[in-house]
Amino acid sequence: MIRNLTRAGSLFTIVGVLAISSGASTPASGQQPAQIVDVTVERFSFTPSEIRMKAGTPVEIRLRSEDTDHGFRIAGTEINITIPKRGRGTATVRFQPDKPGRYEFECSKLCGAGHAFMRGTIVAE
Amino acid sequence: MLPSRRFALGAVLFVAALAPGTTAAQTTTPAAAPERTTDISGYMDFHFNKPELADGRLDFHRFVLLVTHKFSDRIRFVSELELEHAFVEGLEEAGELELEQAYLDFMVSRRFNIRAGMILMPIGILNERHEPPIYYGVERTFVDTFIIPTTWFEVGAGVHGELGRGWRYRAFVASPLNAREFSAEEGIRGGRQQGSDTNIGRPAVTGRLEYVAIRGLTAGASFWTGRSGFEFRPRFDVPVTVGEADARYSRDRLELRAQFAQVGIGNAALLNDALGRAVGVNPNIARTLRGFYSEAGYRVLSGAKAGDVGIFARYENFDTQFRMPEGYLPLKEFDRDAFVLGATYWPDPDIALKMDYSAVRNKSAVVKALDSFNIGLGWWF
Ligand SMILES: [Cu+2]
Repeated sequence: MIRNLTRAGSLFTIVGVLAISSGASTPASGQQPAQIVDVTVERFSFTPSEIRMKAGTPVEIRLRSEDTDHGFRIAGTEINITIPKRGRGTATVRFQPDKPGRYEFECSKLCGAGHAFMRGTIVAE
Repeated sequence: MLPSRRFALGAVLFVAALAPGTTAAQTTTPAAAPERTTDISGYMDFHFNKPELADGRLDFHRFVLLVTHKFSDRIRFVSELELEHAFVEGLEEAGELELEQAYLDFMVSRRFNIRAGMILMPIGILNERHEPPIYYGVERTFVDTFIIPTTWFEVGAGVHGELGRGWRYRAFVASPLNAREFSAEEGIRGGRQQGSDTNIGRPAVTGRLEYVAIRGLTAGASFWTGRSGFEFRPRFDVPVTVGEADARYSRDRLELRAQFAQVGIGNAALLNDALGRAVGVNPNIARTLRGFYSEAGYRVLSGAKAGDVGIFARYENFDTQFRMPEGYLPLKEFDRDAFVLGATYWPDPDIALKMDYSAVRNKSAVVKALDSFNIGLGWWF
């Protein structure tokens, strides 16, 4: 666990991980303002599936499902959250890569026959 | 116990036990989903069908288990095993145990990935996206039964990926259909080899291009082409092509769908001839089959504590005798259309209680098409 956290810390600054809320989320005081991206999630796609951001500036990704619960995992990071079912709120994740690069994300909860198609990319420039 | 070997069932039960306390409530504690390598899920579907002029029937239509395993970020295994109509016996027509999917995915890049094994043909809205809570109606559409033979799966291999800007593709080679099993009423449906010791002398080619960049919209076009006459001696060719286009749009409470599909059967006259000689009856197989439908659904109740309620209406037109080979007349009872009206109640987004009335008509002056009243309960876990 400690080793994992250290490894994650060396690669990224994860500002906040998850908040599931039915209402609007207010960023905690002292946090750098984030670029906000709303993502619609359904069997079997994320829309948008490509998120562009500036390296070093946090992005706040708000994920809302249109059907069942899905997962959101960014490969190579510790970020792996559950997106609640339709009508049960939004899952929010803050992500701040220090370096430019492409970060692949995918659905991490088995959600049906086409689950493996649920993927996308975060492009940090 | 190594975390990577942790089996999913325990975790699933654990989550289910927690669920009542966490679903509606606000949670601020980080609740990272545990990394799992083997997962089990599934869906079930049981129906009550009351056809006109006949007794009602109760059928446990589908019991499906999905098992997936992640060898690494690059290599995954996905399987879907389906028990249809609850009961299977040797040579029994009633039930079927089907391995609908069982493939390995080799994730190379976002644009290019390789898949091999038992795969779903990427055709239409329902063939790859068929979990009961996400479509209106107790039964699958007529077009996705008589024109596109869902669930259509075969052994094969191919590539898939995302091209950027919301474009996705898949392209596979797979076992072809067997023309010996085609029919006037059900078209190419009987010809599916379903991965069972298949003939693959000349593999079929299939593909789909899909556009998903606009929120709420999925638009796609698919094709399938293969040679299906391999069982005939002396050999002759039965080239079959399937072309299809579809769109699905949902926003808040509204959901709209439309799909068009057409099947071409080459050398249909030769095929009728050969089958007629073998069986003694002219099977009257068409050279073109065509079907389309459009559907509108609306959630009249959404976000309520007791769940959601949606109503829908669909018009379908499907003709498995659309164009006949020279010298054959179409059987008008297979030129059909249908109005389906119904409602779905979701006590949970993954549970659907459905009800519909399906009014079917045909162009025959002699044979009457039968309406039906249907109730279904389907769930995903
Ligand atoms: Cu998913």
